[in-house]
Amino acid sequence: MRRRPGIGGLQTAAAARDQYRLVGENVAKIRTDMMKEQLATFRTQLEEFARKHKNDIRKNPAFRSQFHEMCAKVGVDPLASNKGFWAELLGIGDFYYELGVQIVEICLATRPHNGGLINLQELCILLRRRKSDREAISEDDCLRAISKLKVLGSGFEVISVGKKKLVRSVPTELNKDHNEILELAQAQGFVTVEEVERRLSWTSGRAIDTLDTLLDEGLAMIDDGHRDGKRRYWFPCVSSNSTPVADT
Amino acid sequence: MQKLGDFKLPHFFNYPPYFTLQPVRDTREKQVQLWKDLILDYCRTQKIFVIGLEEDFALFSNPVIERSLSHEAREAFLSALVSEGRAEWLDKGHRKCLILWHRVQDWADIIFRFVKDNGLEDSVMTVEEIRSGIESRGTELHGIDRTILMRALRVLEQKGKLAIFKGTSADDEGVKFSM
Repeated sequence: MRRRPGIGGLQTAAAARDQYRLVGENVAKIRTDMMKEQLATFRTQLEEFARKHKNDIRKNPAFRSQFHEMCAKVGVDPLASNKGFWAELLGIGDFYYELGVQIVEICLATRPHNGGLINLQELCILLRRRKSDREAISEDDCLRAISKLKVLGSGFEVISVGKKKLVRSVPTELNKDHNEILELAQAQGFVTVEEVERRLSWTSGRAIDTLDTLLDEGLAMIDDGHRDGKRRYWFPCVSSNSTPVADT
Repeated sequence: MQKLGDFKLPHFFNYPPYFTLQPVRDTREKQVQLWKDLILDYCRTQKIFVIGLEEDFALFSNPVIERSLSHEAREAFLSALVSEGRAEWLDKGHRKCLILWHRVQDWADIIFRFVKDNGLEDSVMTVEEIRSGIESRGTELHGIDRTILMRALRVLEQKGKLAIFKGTSADDEGVKFSM
């Protein structure tokens, strides 16, 4: 803008700024309105879609997960409330609440055995064993149900150790050392003090300390029965096929 | 799943650390519980009444994972059963253990039902007949350990349901039911 001298000039400049601002606000408003409208359309269509594919959403875990993804993108959370339209329409809230309760039950039942840390895969297998086979459950479903459990503040959490996902149901904090050992144990289901020292380049004190903590937390079990006489530390949470609760 | 004859072994039987006594209390309690259940289950289905700690016993080792229970562990699991009244040491040295998958009182009830079912309310039988006679064939009493049977009979005797008397041969005793 070219500057003109005097009070008149300043006033004109201020008026012009106001005008620009107004126009700008208008444009922004029109844009948001349009956006809102688009979102509203999208939502209606999503609802219609959901209604149409109700059965698929219920029965097919892959479809369900894709549906959730779509919902997340438009800011709809079908699990946010059990009273809302979505819950009524799909009963999907109940599905996850029920799943959550079963997850808690399994975590509690297996806790004496695995110290409150369970492999996500194994959790799924145990869940499927409980459910009648008409309802398939995916790991994605489990993760969703667990994320809903967080509001209970009871320390339900999914942690990643190496390639595996573990579900933690005890408030124990696992530090980096613990995680590294759990990761190492994934290969065979157990570690020895020697192996920890060698593979992680730790001092033997550090290795023994960390293993003792894991033992005290109930996450590890010792095994002195091998021919070579070396003590093995087994981790029920990373080895499959070790859960004693076969049919609950 | 691994099997012993027609007995289905639980998963934990293939998990090596369960063959080492666990030092942490909670873990150990769980371990002892699992072994107690397994021993009782196995003895019940296989009709085993006495376990010798120093003898070969199918549950004490698992060749598949090359693990076996130490003497200390065997004694710990059986002692846990003893403290619950589900087993009894037969000697001071804890080398032989009587397994009571039915408590003595339950065995007494089984005898009581057996007598009623067979109309033996006022009959006389020898102890050997109860263990291996025609009447008990196909019932749980068939092949029952003599020590357990005598204990159960004494329970009934105390209640006045029967009288035990010496038989003709020195080592056999007779029972007169009066139910």
